Amino acid sequence: MSEIRIENLHKSFGAHEVIRDISLTISEQEICIFVGPSGCGKSTLLRLIAGLEEATSGSIMIGGKDVTHLEPYDRKLSMVFQSYALYPHMNVRDNIAFALHTAKLPKDQIAEKVAEAARILRLEDYLDRRPNALSGGQRLRVAIGRAIVREPAAFLFDEPLSNLDAALRADTRVEIATLHRSLNATSIYVTHDQTEAMTLADRIVVLKDGQIMQTGSPTELYDNPANVFVAQFLGSPKMNILNVQLGENVITIPGHKEIIFPAEAMPQDVQLGVRPEAISLVDPDQGQFTGVVKLNEYHGGSRTVVADIGVENLVTVQVPANQSPHIGEKIRLKCSIENFHIFQTNGQRFLTDSGKFLEAKLSDFDK
Amino acid sequence: MRRRMGPRWIVFAVAGFVLNFPILSTLMTAFKGPNEVNRNASLWVEAPTLENFATVLTISDRLNVYYYLWNSLSAVLIGAILPMVVAFPLAWPMVRRGYGRSILFPIIVNLRALPLIVFAIPLYMMYATLGLLDTHLGLGLILAIVNLPLTLMLLVNAIADLPIELEEAARMDGARTGGLLIRVVLPLCRPALITTFVFGFITAWNEFLFGLMLTTSEAVPMTVGASLFFATSGGGVQWGVASAVMIVAALPPLLLGLIMYRRITGSMVAGAVKG
Repeated sequence: MSEIRIENLHKSFGAHEVIRDISLTISEQEICIFVGPSGCGKSTLLRLIAGLEEATSGSIMIGGKDVTHLEPYDRKLSMVFQSYALYPHMNVRDNIAFALHTAKLPKDQIAEKVAEAARILRLEDYLDRRPNALSGGQRLRVAIGRAIVREPAAFLFDEPLSNLDAALRADTRVEIATLHRSLNATSIYVTHDQTEAMTLADRIVVLKDGQIMQTGSPTELYDNPANVFVAQFLGSPKMNILNVQLGENVITIPGHKEIIFPAEAMPQDVQLGVRPEAISLVDPDQGQFTGVVKLNEYHGGSRTVVADIGVENLVTVQVPANQSPHIGEKIRLKCSIENFHIFQTNGQRFLTDSGKFLEAKLSDFDK
Repeated sequence: MRRRMGPRWIVFAVAGFVLNFPILSTLMTAFKGPNEVNRNASLWVEAPTLENFATVLTISDRLNVYYYLWNSLSAVLIGAILPMVVAFPLAWPMVRRGYGRSILFPIIVNLRALPLIVFAIPLYMMYATLGLLDTHLGLGLILAIVNLPLTLMLLVNAIADLPIELEEAARMDGARTGGLLIRVVLPLCRPALITTFVFGFITAWNEFLFGLMLTTSEAVPMTVGASLFFATSGGGVQWGVASAVMIVAALPPLLLGLIMYRRITGSMVAGAVKG
């Protein structure tokens, strides 16, 4: 297993720049997830690492060795494709053994390795079947089997779960997590699904327009998003962003009373981010602002309430399922200020003069 | 709910009969004796006889049907297999790398649009110089050229339809271009190869012009040989014998078509991608 280091990587298709100056290090045994909306370049980045695309400039190092101009196989990586890409004319055994055959391993070693992979992936009963006689989940397991027999430097996964139905997807996600723990393999995993990213990742790389928006552990990204894009991309329902005025130790949501927010910053327009689960419904005499219920969605364990708080601002609130305001009802909302995320109007996280995120100084507030 | 199938079957039967009338007529005539051929033009045979087939299948000092069949078969196999051998390694780089897509591919495909007679005189002189006249190889080579455009076109389409991920997966798994072609692309092109073989075989088998022009005695194919049966003893056309030889000549491609029909329609890539 090896560390993968990417330095100043660029990739253009004609005049269209898909990857713009990406530098990134993926440590040994880590599962790193590239996540972003479609067209953000996450799959291209994976294919560049795999060697299926050639970089326009920059370098890729695997285990300290520069592989930028090497053929895919010589990079010693395995890839699980979105479509699985199983060879339809071969049975499961030959599919798994394909790379071992091309490496010209002795027959008994091949048989041993295939048997081991089949055991791990519970494919023993299917070794003589062709891929078209397998279910979607089994096909994915064959694709994973094909990847693990090679004992690669790292695994690459290109949206492996996107062809499975929702229930199977959740199960398989757990399986992949378990498998990763037992193999302890460096893995790069591409997905557009933020749930997959949050649950599987040691580290998440959020991409947009071919650039890294932020890198960090799921909790770091969730608790301290560097910009509005990351803040809204991770978490469901997504974070509320309101245009507000930051004054001296107050924040004003247009059309509402000032909220006391002691902080070191000049008065100016900012964007206020609040996660739906950080807002709660309270009695009319408490709370900070009032809204009119527009939508009330039932999710079983919880409800999502969308409230109109005036001046074209809608706020999404996640509440326990037993709180069910009816549509058109006036509700009172409360959010504690330690859950406020302050962004500049350009979408970047507000940094104070000392370079820290702008947050309420709760010690002052307590006085 | 059961539909009334009767009317439908009547339509099928009428269409089948009309479309196949020439074949049926030839088949029936082959079983008629020399006298009956002149008298009875109907499809009904009054006194069925195998006399015509016996004449065709008997080796005379002038005519040998087995020899013509053998000549056809050897030339046709060259003419059907050689284009696949040439076109397969040509089609893959055309599709995947774009080599020759803009000039070579249209030129080869447009060969098909040319009337073959255009080749006649230069080809004859070339063959005479090279000693290819009246040989199986000579006839096979020109049949291969006749078949090349269709073969290339079918293979280009077949390869373009293969999911690129399969080739990428093979490259990740260490297959170099040669191994990739032989172990992944070739097996997946099997239906297309079978289709081109059947079409190529039938086209080459039915070819008459070059058979007539380029052979004289050693390599005369079945199509040309059949025409020699038409007038054997000077006194006009022997329709019964002519019909019998046509049936014999038509059997090999017919059998091939029947055997391969199911394989032509099958698809190899089912189960390759998606769930």
